[in-house]
Amino acid sequence: MLPLLPFFLFTGFFLIWPVVAVTLRSFQGNNNEWTLANYRPILHSGPYLHAFMVSLKLSLITALIGSLLGAFFAYVIVKYARGKFGAVVDSISAVFANSGGVPLAFMFVAAFGTEGIVTKVLKDLGWDIYAGHFTIFSFTGVVMVYSFFQVPLMVLVFKPAIAGLRREWEEASISLGASAFTYWRRVGIPILIPSFVGAFFLLFAGGFSAYATARALTVGTVPLVPIIIGTLVDGNVISDQTNLGDSLAVGMIVVATIVMAGYIWAQRRAAKWRS
Amino acid sequence: MKRFSLKWPLVISSSVLAFLIFIVPLYGAAVYSFKGNGGKGHSWVNYQWLIHQDGFYPSLITSLKLAVLAAILTLALMVPTMVYLNLKGQKYKSLVDFLCILPLIIPVVSLAIGAQVAMPKILQNSEYELVFFFVIIALPYTYRALDTSLQTVALKTLVEASRSLGASWSSTILLVIVPAIRSGITGALFLTFALSIGEYTITSLLHWETFPTWTVVAAQQNILGAIAISVFSFVGAIALLSVIALLPKRNAQRVEVDE
Amino acid sequence: MSKNDRDSCTLELRGVSRHFGPVKALDGLDLTVQPGELVALLGPSGCGKTTALRIVAGLEVATSGELRLNGVRYNETPVNHRDMGMVFQSYSLFPNLTVSQNIDYGLRARKVDGDKRHKRVTEMLELVALESKANSYPHQLSGGQQQRVALARALAIQPRVLLLDEPLSALDAQVRGQIREEIRRIQLDLGITTLFVTHDQEEAMAISDRVGVMSHGKLEQIDKPIVLYNSPATSFVATFVGLANRIPAEITSKGKARVLNQKVNILESAEPFAEGSKVNVIIRPESLEIVSENDLDATRGIVALKSFLGPMTKVGIAVEGAPLIHLNIGSRDVRKLEIGDKIAFKISSDEVMAERV
Repeated sequence: MLPLLPFFLFTGFFLIWPVVAVTLRSFQGNNNEWTLANYRPILHSGPYLHAFMVSLKLSLITALIGSLLGAFFAYVIVKYARGKFGAVVDSISAVFANSGGVPLAFMFVAAFGTEGIVTKVLKDLGWDIYAGHFTIFSFTGVVMVYSFFQVPLMVLVFKPAIAGLRREWEEASISLGASAFTYWRRVGIPILIPSFVGAFFLLFAGGFSAYATARALTVGTVPLVPIIIGTLVDGNVISDQTNLGDSLAVGMIVVATIVMAGYIWAQRRAAKWRS
Repeated sequence: MKRFSLKWPLVISSSVLAFLIFIVPLYGAAVYSFKGNGGKGHSWVNYQWLIHQDGFYPSLITSLKLAVLAAILTLALMVPTMVYLNLKGQKYKSLVDFLCILPLIIPVVSLAIGAQVAMPKILQNSEYELVFFFVIIALPYTYRALDTSLQTVALKTLVEASRSLGASWSSTILLVIVPAIRSGITGALFLTFALSIGEYTITSLLHWETFPTWTVVAAQQNILGAIAISVFSFVGAIALLSVIALLPKRNAQRVEVDE
Repeated sequence: MSKNDRDSCTLELRGVSRHFGPVKALDGLDLTVQPGELVALLGPSGCGKTTALRIVAGLEVATSGELRLNGVRYNETPVNHRDMGMVFQSYSLFPNLTVSQNIDYGLRARKVDGDKRHKRVTEMLELVALESKANSYPHQLSGGQQQRVALARALAIQPRVLLLDEPLSALDAQVRGQIREEIRRIQLDLGITTLFVTHDQEEAMAISDRVGVMSHGKLEQIDKPIVLYNSPATSFVATFVGLANRIPAEITSKGKARVLNQKVNILESAEPFAEGSKVNVIIRPESLEIVSENDLDATRGIVALKSFLGPMTKVGIAVEGAPLIHLNIGSRDVRKLEIGDKIAFKISSDEVMAERV
């Protein structure tokens, strides 16, 4: 036990303690009394509740896009990308899945901004994407950018599940006289569902907590919880409740925890059949 | 007997989709970054501009410094921990695993606020406080990298062999175990380093200036220059992580596959 | 135990080949499995036996040749219409379905109605004695139980042919013996034409009506097990089936050779051996007997190895000018024998097989 002490002390002080501290302070009012005042602005309708809704909506949409497209790519890769090529695709997915943040945001601005290269090309081809309400600095823009890392993340996380579908099952099914459709309906998809749901939760959590990318694209224009926390911290927005940022932060922890619990549960279900 | 195969329609449609989603933005940004002054022609002007800004070198050096420290701290903390965990500390494995997954669950934003609330003043007055949080953020990845590496090596056997030949614990760890898990250590090193260099969220919320945060500020002055450097750092990150991913992975046992 | 409602079928392979570019996984295989017969395809990895089975099932396609069932060509029939039951080496049970649902699977695919299905599943569970596990999931069963379910599942659809792809290879040695007896018992009861692939010669010999030994995509010999054992057609068959000693010898005259200072008769071969030519002679361990050291015709050597196998003991004798010679002797008879002892033996069979060096 002793050799593990440094680790436990380190994580205790730099990980657990900050979380506990912010949770405690979120229950403290302006005069350090215990109160739920910091949570009221979130729970009653208003800009903060709205921000949570927008954040959740963003997470849901990007998780859906990411999981459906990612599952499709994962299937094609597992089935048709063999050997060396498969390894290359793996590493590229890993790189893209971990991209994000400011460089990614700027990249999309460079491509799809008002002066962006792709914008120009499309304009020359007759399609002015800025003619309507679209702008890269909007909710839609953020969805586009998030997909860049959500899709590869899905591929990474879901690929093992697809690869885990044994060839023998398909062969047994077809030799027993069933069609491919029946196989997928009765065996393939049911087996994949827990992993798919788990991966979806993972993407959802990622979309919800992402900060840097959203900030680079949307300061002020799209109400997202992480961004609001940022503006409160920067002192750009003064609130009646000094510890409002804490309650928002705790709110984020709660949402993320629920989602990750779902992820872990789904993973357990999936693993049950692998023994 | 030829049967209609789904192969080509699937491969082609997925390639087209992948192209649209990934290549187009990347390529567009790359082309953009080479735009010349006043938006005409192509040149390295934007890359050059950025380098000449005040703060380019200081922030870059700060980032490098913090990243190196984070990488070293990670190894110093995690290698002995993981080795002990896999040797004698089996019963603590799920607890440690959980603690190392936490940074993925807890939104970084929340951790940043927590840091503001919880960290003692001495720490908060120094940019070195970031080093500790970089290590925490990298934990899920370093844990996985070291754990996977330790699993593929017959750790117990190696240790028993080394000890029975008379080696001390420190010799065993340094001369036997560390070389054996080389790929895991390198992976953990690179991952921590890459993560630290690019970290933005905690750094900006705690109001420190590192390369990523400085870039964003500079962007407000010259968007082209900032984009140039973003593209550059993105490509750099791709190269770095590709190196990690393509590192030869050692297989402890070869499995015979019967056709 | 209910008999298969269908009449037994004849399965024929004519000139079946499978090429991957220059590599010939299968080279012109001709095989007929008679109605109700259990034929085993035996051989080392890569000999083509599994390829042949998968072509019969339709999981792989032959590059040339014909497949016939009761005389009717079926190369073009899609896999899911071939009506063949297949048992795989391992992990073939659907993990998300119970044992009953697994067995039921093929019946549902054929749209057999509920009552009939239920009755059939119960029958199959009784057949493999797993009634108590009807609602268990595959991961709750042992390897042997899983394979029994796989067998029940394959037989539930009353297939015309039963195909088994190394069904016992992934099981523990002890379980292997039990399951293999069960497979044979069920197969005989149902009278179903069966093709069985394995690399374990003991398994093949124990339960098959005929065994086909394969090597490099070709069938070396196919016959009843005892014929294969006593009259191997080629040296490959001789050394693959049962144990054999390969001893250098010299042809002394037509039909005779000298091996280890003993004289033996050689089996006629297609091309006669020239006098004085060097050959290898193939002798089974049980064709050697230990004799008194005083016997002048015997070969002398030193005991180098003693392996206790239960009723028999394998003894390895080091002799000058030859590889280690193996004999199988009743354990009682060699109780007093120690490694390093001097020993003498003679060849006791009338004729032995020779192969060119």
